[in-house]
Amino acid sequence: MKTNSSKALVVGAGISGIRSALDLAESGHQVILIDRSLHMGGILSRLDYQFPTNHCGMCKMLPLVERDSGSQFCLRKGLFHDNIELRLGCELTSVSGKPGEFSVTLRQAPTQVDPDLCTGCGICSQVCPVEVPDDFNAGLATRKAIYLPLPHAVPNPYVIDPAACDHCGKCLQVCPTGAINLSDQQRGNFLILVVDDEPAVRDSLKEWLVDEGFAVDMAESGRQALEMLRDKDYGLMLTDIKMPGMDGVELLQRAKQVRPELTVVMMTAYATVETAVEAMKEGAFDYLMKPFDPARMIPMVVRIFEDRMAARDLEIGVGAIVLACGTDYFNPAESKNTLGYGICPHVITGIEFERLVSGTGPTAGRLVRPADGKPARKIAWLQCVGSRDLQTNTDYCSSVCCMYAVKEALLAGEKAGEDVETAIFYMDMRAFGLPFQRYLDEAAARPGMRFERTRVHSVTPHPESGSPVLTYMGTDGKLVDETFDLVVLSVGQRPARRTEQLAEMTGCKLNQWGFPATAPLDPVSTDRPGIFVSGSASGLKDISESVIFASAAAARAAVAMGGGDGSSETDDKETAYRDVSGRRPKIMAIVCTCGQRLSTDRDGPLVEKRLKTDPAVGEVVFVDRLCTAGGWQKAQEAAAAKDFNRILVGACHPYLFVKKIKALSAAIRLAPHLIDAVDLGLTGPDSSPPAPALPVARLQAGLARLKAAVVDRLPEVEVAATALVVGGGVAGMQAALTMAERGHRVTLVEKSDRLGGNLDWLQTTIDGQDLQDLCRTMVSEVESHPNIKTMTGSGIVGGYGQVGSFFTTIRGPDGEISTLEHGVAILATGGREATTTAYGYGSSDRIITQRRLEQALADTSIKPAGLETVVMIQCVDSRRKPRNYCSRVCCPTTIKHCLKIKQQNPETAVYVLYRDIMTPGFMETYFTAARRAGVIFIPYDPENRPEVEVADGEKGAESVKVNCTDPVSGLKLTIETDLLVLATGIVPRLPAELAATFGVDVDEHGFFRPADSKWRPVDALKEGVFACGICLGPRAAVESMATGQAAASRALRIISRRRISSGHPVAQVRYSLCALCERCIEACPYRARMLDTDRTKVVVNTAMCQGCGTCAAVCPNGASVINGYLRQQMFETIDALTQAFDEPLDLEAGKV
Amino acid sequence: MATCVKLKVNGKDLIATLQEFYRSVVASPMADQILAPMLPANGSMVMPTLTEDPDMLAAADPLAPSFPLNSAKMVCRLTRTDPGGEIAAVMRPCEIRAFVELVKLKQGSFDRLLIIGMDCLGAFRNRDYLKFVATNGKDSSRQFYSQALAAKPDADPSDQLAPACRFCDQPTAANADVVVALWGLDCEQEIMIYSQSDKGARLLEALNLETASLPDARERYLQSLTDKRKQLRQQMYADTTAATGGIDKLGAYFCACVNCYNCRVACPVCYCRECVFVTDAFDHEPSRYMAWARRKKAVKMPTDTIFYHLTRLAHMSLACVGCGQCSNACPNDIPLAEFFCTVAADTQKAFDYPAGSDPRAKPPLTEFREDEFSEIVGID
Repeated sequence: MKTNSSKALVVGAGISGIRSALDLAESGHQVILIDRSLHMGGILSRLDYQFPTNHCGMCKMLPLVERDSGSQFCLRKGLFHDNIELRLGCELTSVSGKPGEFSVTLRQAPTQVDPDLCTGCGICSQVCPVEVPDDFNAGLATRKAIYLPLPHAVPNPYVIDPAACDHCGKCLQVCPTGAINLSDQQRGNFLILVVDDEPAVRDSLKEWLVDEGFAVDMAESGRQALEMLRDKDYGLMLTDIKMPGMDGVELLQRAKQVRPELTVVMMTAYATVETAVEAMKEGAFDYLMKPFDPARMIPMVVRIFEDRMAARDLEIGVGAIVLACGTDYFNPAESKNTLGYGICPHVITGIEFERLVSGTGPTAGRLVRPADGKPARKIAWLQCVGSRDLQTNTDYCSSVCCMYAVKEALLAGEKAGEDVETAIFYMDMRAFGLPFQRYLDEAAARPGMRFERTRVHSVTPHPESGSPVLTYMGTDGKLVDETFDLVVLSVGQRPARRTEQLAEMTGCKLNQWGFPATAPLDPVSTDRPGIFVSGSASGLKDISESVIFASAAAARAAVAMGGGDGSSETDDKETAYRDVSGRRPKIMAIVCTCGQRLSTDRDGPLVEKRLKTDPAVGEVVFVDRLCTAGGWQKAQEAAAAKDFNRILVGACHPYLFVKKIKALSAAIRLAPHLIDAVDLGLTGPDSSPPAPALPVARLQAGLARLKAAVVDRLPEVEVAATALVVGGGVAGMQAALTMAERGHRVTLVEKSDRLGGNLDWLQTTIDGQDLQDLCRTMVSEVESHPNIKTMTGSGIVGGYGQVGSFFTTIRGPDGEISTLEHGVAILATGGREATTTAYGYGSSDRIITQRRLEQALADTSIKPAGLETVVMIQCVDSRRKPRNYCSRVCCPTTIKHCLKIKQQNPETAVYVLYRDIMTPGFMETYFTAARRAGVIFIPYDPENRPEVEVADGEKGAESVKVNCTDPVSGLKLTIETDLLVLATGIVPRLPAELAATFGVDVDEHGFFRPADSKWRPVDALKEGVFACGICLGPRAAVESMATGQAAASRALRIISRRRISSGHPVAQVRYSLCALCERCIEACPYRARMLDTDRTKVVVNTAMCQGCGTCAAVCPNGASVINGYLRQQMFETIDALTQAFDEPLDLEAGKV
Repeated sequence: MATCVKLKVNGKDLIATLQEFYRSVVASPMADQILAPMLPANGSMVMPTLTEDPDMLAAADPLAPSFPLNSAKMVCRLTRTDPGGEIAAVMRPCEIRAFVELVKLKQGSFDRLLIIGMDCLGAFRNRDYLKFVATNGKDSSRQFYSQALAAKPDADPSDQLAPACRFCDQPTAANADVVVALWGLDCEQEIMIYSQSDKGARLLEALNLETASLPDARERYLQSLTDKRKQLRQQMYADTTAATGGIDKLGAYFCACVNCYNCRVACPVCYCRECVFVTDAFDHEPSRYMAWARRKKAVKMPTDTIFYHLTRLAHMSLACVGCGQCSNACPNDIPLAEFFCTVAADTQKAFDYPAGSDPRAKPPLTEFREDEFSEIVGID
């Protein structure tokens, strides 16, 4: 694995933190990935279903090249990667230094259950007497004080909640592996000195602290205390301030001379609070106010104690910091709460609903009302709870709630039957992503689904049934009371807990809503160089956007860390493994006896004899508790002592052995895939066959796999370290610059005769940033960058190839042809404003598009001063077939122009006829501003669109009238307007031949089809090809820049290597058997296979192959094989596993 | 497009008429050579033979009840890559169906091929045919077709026919470029040829024959014939299902199998260069046999006999065209065709994929559909 000397810190191990960390790790950087919580996955660990597939799919983020570096199983269960150090329960406590050489301090929470020893058996949890609400299930269920932080993690050790634990010690007694180390045993060794001149205070303090298990001494004066400090090693001193003789502050000063590491807490009455605060400057840790409240004092003492017990704060140097701290959710009980959350038991939040339909949730996925277990047949979702709400200071849209509410309503139908009634109460349905509108239409077509455009006034419990009653204004303007079984509040997002402290510590600014602020034209950079914001931490993003911004942050971090000239790349560090090719398998089996669950005396000989019926087994070694450090040490010694060419480890939880096996492999120089671990099933459920039949069967299955393991060195793909970017708009330029700054040569091909794309005509962003200036800056940076070769007036003629080595033919401006070899390709071919024939466009100069208005306002060919009335129509030809998607930029553009007109001439009457205003995220504030400025927004029904009449008149003086209906009064309106502006949306510009050249799919609208719209949003299904900007889907210029950085980040994973080796397993072709039917080529979902027509052979690109086995399944005779899953291996494995159920081993007879 | 012409039958000699037709095909610009069933100079087994010599076609014997092998594999050999000229091939309906499957598997191509189909009168098993020729000499083919054409469509088929032919319910040549029609016509006077493709229409045009239209009697005849055959086929499915339900009955059904693999060599759609059963995947280590004997008390050798047939079903039942060559090839008379056809009927129905009928339909296993068979995979 190649490594870079520079190391990055990623704060937060949710989906965006994982993406940033993996991008950096795959590009060869070392990453420390930390999370405050005790599990990774963030919010997504609690969500089982994501639209539009209503599946998960997180695993699609796993490494696709150099797969052996990381884990290859469900990402919700866990993540290993050679270059990632994952630290859970870990917080960042300080940052100093500058990019490339930050020094950070990490604080690790103490672990009271040794994760290496815990087998996850759960007996401790059964005996624990404490029950507290379960955060993971959003409080819908309870858990014990010793519990699993995630139901599905691997490995999955139990943890203790120190706040809930009452130190009864029951778990300690039952733990079969001695994994639990209750800190209160050590509390007895933690000496606390209480200093006060009042005996009553001393005594009560001592009593409380002794009850908590601490050892307490008392002193009645400062002098006495000092003497005692000299004698014993106190951990904490609690001292009164006002004492006769030596006062508390003097004692503090003198005590610090004796014991500098002593933690001192001042005790103070109200009168001396200022002195106490002063004392903290002298080195006191904190102060306590009299009269003492044990509920405040005990946690403080426990925290001090646990900080002491914890491993010392870790200080490390990192080159860049990525903040991926995600978001939190609005708590409706904290506002005026007219929606009855916490009052009416049948009102829950969206997160609670997700847990309710989760298979690992409190009802195992049955959709019932959590409060009374009754079926929920009629469910309402209320949108914009804690979003778009000036009363809760949220003048922003949370961007994700509309789609999650639709998803949840669909899930309700799936879980509770088609006849369940679902209603969504909304203001605007914000389906602004490319696939969203389609999903929304499908949902709307579901029987029983209802969309109500109204804001619910209040929710009250029904006086008799207690069911929630919604009060809202119906379409006819009258108040309606409607009773539902269950009400789900689509709660909006808030900055993550402790974002303020994080900002203070890192010195990064927050925006007005408390999210980390990013630079207006640099969407992942904070104002502190070297610190970047990943994913939704910068506010209000769905999965797809979070993943894009996570990759973008990784790219910026890589640039910030690297030398910028490619010199930071180091050579591959290859372990030279023993050459065992051509040797017959000689296997050592190392079997864990698991605390004598497998009896060494009784079962041992039998197991050994049975295994040795296979001549390949040379030796069987029994070790007790392989999971312990001591046990593993014995195993390593045994393996090192003999010259076996395969090692089989029998234990539990093979996943736990991934890292250990890699270490063993390096130590004894045996390739890691020749060492395998199997689960003996000794800790399995009671229904398993009794020992030793099952362990024997499992071991024999492992032997079958190992015997036929492929020993050859795996094939590699050479990588050309250069990139091709097609399209010189803002996204393409950004991608090229990012890779060039990282030290890679980039060829940028642009069809037109100059760079810039749509920046050519765009003037400003909605927040007033000058895009013309941005365009000039970027073009000059690109043109002057030594690593970028710009080819304007050029086009792609054709090409072929696969990841690492593409050959593309380019035609230059004078028709000259050249061929470029490159390792990756990024398509940034952009899009343009759609043309239209609707609403009389073309029949009058008074009817224009938003693009024209943008230019006209800039060059003052249209002056608001001369305009009495302006009408703007949204969604022209958009959001309905055939162009059934939202173009996302039109609403903000329209609002931007409304504000500009109103600013220049407040007298101009401006009407916006719209379906749903799409101003996701912080753009909402401009929608508010436009309404404040007096712009009139009138919604129209897509079935009843506005009509435009153009009356005859002199050229340029025609009269234009717009007819529409006011939905509230139902009145027909006719607006005579000076200007009619149409928002026609965006269409892509991705020629089919170009897409075909790079093996890329396009969707029905002509946009680039990503490998997965959520998890791999900028990747093509074909590895090595990426896209950014508008050809991925409509987006604003700054968002396009983020996609450019994201595509560059994905590309850097590949071109920062010289070679890509394939992972295990990988497909191969046995040519003597191949009949060239090409079924494998059609079946391969990764396009890793092609017919080499020169050699008439089916070839596999082993870097692209993911070892999924589809090819082997369609090939009838094993000409296509998956290493590690050969037929021989599978037959023997099945054979071995089924025999366990034949008949129990006859122990008495001893016949094996 | 579909044109139809008639050919006068001189002296009631159908074979000579067809020979003359073949000569005219080779003489036309549509074909340079023709592959037709011909009697070799020595010996009596009619074999597919490639020629461009009009004189050689005097040995063509397309109405012989001989079906030594399924010629689809031979046509693949001729069309796998560009043969350098145009080839016409005389094929039975089941041979055409097999060829359609093989083209999808990239083993052959329609590009430079013109397929001449004919109403299929069926054939004998190889050993029965040789006996038949030995008894009846040169007159065998005429005797066979006269009887076959004289039979009523709803009569029980001759016992002499191979079982697969007796329950064949697709005896007309779908997907042929041209079809020689016999049934429902007065074959002593004239037969008709109609086209089913552009290529076929161009051939008929080039031959410049008198146009005709198929008589209604033919449609009635075919209906009656296929009704009868379908009924026989259903009976066969029921009998076979009863004889093979459960592993014990399967064991009895296949007890004579000696792993000779003749059935897979004879199978037209088994296209592998080397069957997986003769690769190292089945080179079990000697210790494994001992382990099996220990575990199961006894191991019959050779092992993997039922496994072999089930695997072949898993691999090929979706492509099975029911030609019956497997039964024809079995040295121990295992009723393989019945078993294959019975299972194939179910699998092909499950994927709505009647093998060999639609050249454009993709083989089911190359297509992944997320939303199918949720009752089997347990995901919905």
